[in-house]
Amino acid sequence: MFLILGRTMRESLINFWRNGWLSVAAVSVLVLSLFVVGAVFMMGMVADNVLKNVESKVNISVYFKSDVSEEKIAQSKKDLENFKEISSIEYISKDKALEIFKRDNAEEPVIMQSLDEIGENPLLASLVIKANNASQYQAIADYVDNVSFKEDVSRVNYGKNKDLIDRLNTMIFQIKKIGLAVAGIFGIVSILIIFNTIRITIYTHKHEIEVMRLVGSSNMFIRLPFIFEGILYGVIASIVASLILMISIKFVNVYASSVVSSGNLFSFYLSHALSILGLQIAIGAFLGIASSWIAMRKYLKI
Amino acid sequence: MKRENKIKNEESSEEKYSREMEEEHSPVLIKFDHVSKFFKNDQDILTDINLEIRKGEFVSIVGHSGAGKSTFLKLIYAEEMPTEGSVYFDGVSLDMISRRKLPYHRRRIGTIFQDFKLLSKKTVFENVAYAMEVCGAPRNEILEDVPQILDIVGLGDKMEKFPRQLSGGEQQRVVLARALIHKPHVIAADEPTGNLDPVSSMEMVKLLLDINKLGTTVILASHDHDIVNKAAKRVIVLDHGKIICDDAKGKYKIC
Repeated sequence: MFLILGRTMRESLINFWRNGWLSVAAVSVLVLSLFVVGAVFMMGMVADNVLKNVESKVNISVYFKSDVSEEKIAQSKKDLENFKEISSIEYISKDKALEIFKRDNAEEPVIMQSLDEIGENPLLASLVIKANNASQYQAIADYVDNVSFKEDVSRVNYGKNKDLIDRLNTMIFQIKKIGLAVAGIFGIVSILIIFNTIRITIYTHKHEIEVMRLVGSSNMFIRLPFIFEGILYGVIASIVASLILMISIKFVNVYASSVVSSGNLFSFYLSHALSILGLQIAIGAFLGIASSWIAMRKYLKI
Repeated sequence: MKRENKIKNEESSEEKYSREMEEEHSPVLIKFDHVSKFFKNDQDILTDINLEIRKGEFVSIVGHSGAGKSTFLKLIYAEEMPTEGSVYFDGVSLDMISRRKLPYHRRRIGTIFQDFKLLSKKTVFENVAYAMEVCGAPRNEILEDVPQILDIVGLGDKMEKFPRQLSGGEQQRVVLARALIHKPHVIAADEPTGNLDPVSSMEMVKLLLDINKLGTTVILASHDHDIVNKAAKRVIVLDHGKIICDDAKGKYKIC
């Protein structure tokens, strides 16, 4: 068994090498399609990351009037916690709000100066509500509008990001759709080209195949070199495609590193590089085997 | 494992046959039972062929080109399947053999052709070794068997030559060595002397007769009077796809 595997693999390697430009053509088309697949996959992951990022920033802030006591706010917080769509409620006191405000505006001397001139803390205490799911904010907002402690509430801040999220969602969906369509087209083209390459290999080896059949070589032994050749195209192409993807991300990184939460697109890619490579190898090998198989069905008489 | 099983099966079918054919001197190896072969929109190639070939026989198939000699041989090594009727090999109908098992059937038959079908980029040794390699034989077995078989056909000293460096007669002997490498039951030779000069042709026939003496069945398709007469064995004459003559001690003739 190992003997057969070894000999047929050697045969396919020699084929690959001797076919020269033909192999290069087959591999480069496959590289293109795998690159698109990898890029789409990568884009999908970045988009998910961005979406999650934005979603996590969405919240409902309930600001209390400045004369409401802390105990009363704590009581309201307890009331709200019964609402099951809410995942977390954070209490931000007046002092903490001021602290955050100062930190965010530390580089704006005008604002800091005017804050000093006011003398006392002008900010309101608030409850920051987060939902389990972005789609539940509407329900929570409606609920907060009719709570028992309504008279203590100064204002409710919600809705800024909702439109953005919806737009982002449809955009990501569109990008994924278009990307998959492009990858599909490239996939079909590469099947055709590998098919043709294998067909030519079969044709140039007509003589050997005839002899193999005559001396009683098993069907597997005749077929395996072509299957391996297909796999070889797939694997080499996926490695090259990964390298190109890596280089292009490194290049794009300069302009677009801020889109992911970690702030570095390239390291984000590296952390997912193995799964992308795995996907590419799987798809590449599949395309290679599929096209070999079609070519053999059509041209290899056993 | 598979090989052992196969050998066992062969033995049992051989036993069966030797019981059935007690009065005969050797069992039937190949049997054509009402075999016809034709393609669509074409005239018949073979029509209602019935014959038996016994183990160890030397049979010459003669006839004009287009008489169906090649097809007759192809039916034996299952390159073609009969349109009607069945071909039996060692008691088993060839259409009962699955496509996966067909290669094992082909290993029981050594084939020789007019156009040699040698691989020009491989040496004599490699050409013969190739037949073992593609059947999954281990390296040490190849190194042992190939020189032996090349010695038998008298090419022991030309192992490292390429086919184009050899004469036609020598090339055909390489083909014979390749055909013998699996120790086949049958040698099926399709016009083996078609490309050879008279002297080489005679040598080829002598070799085939020697191999036959060692027990291998030989089926020789040819339209060459001299070599068929030289063999002086059973002659079957085909004409337009029909057997018109089957002579146990024959001469080349058109009946």
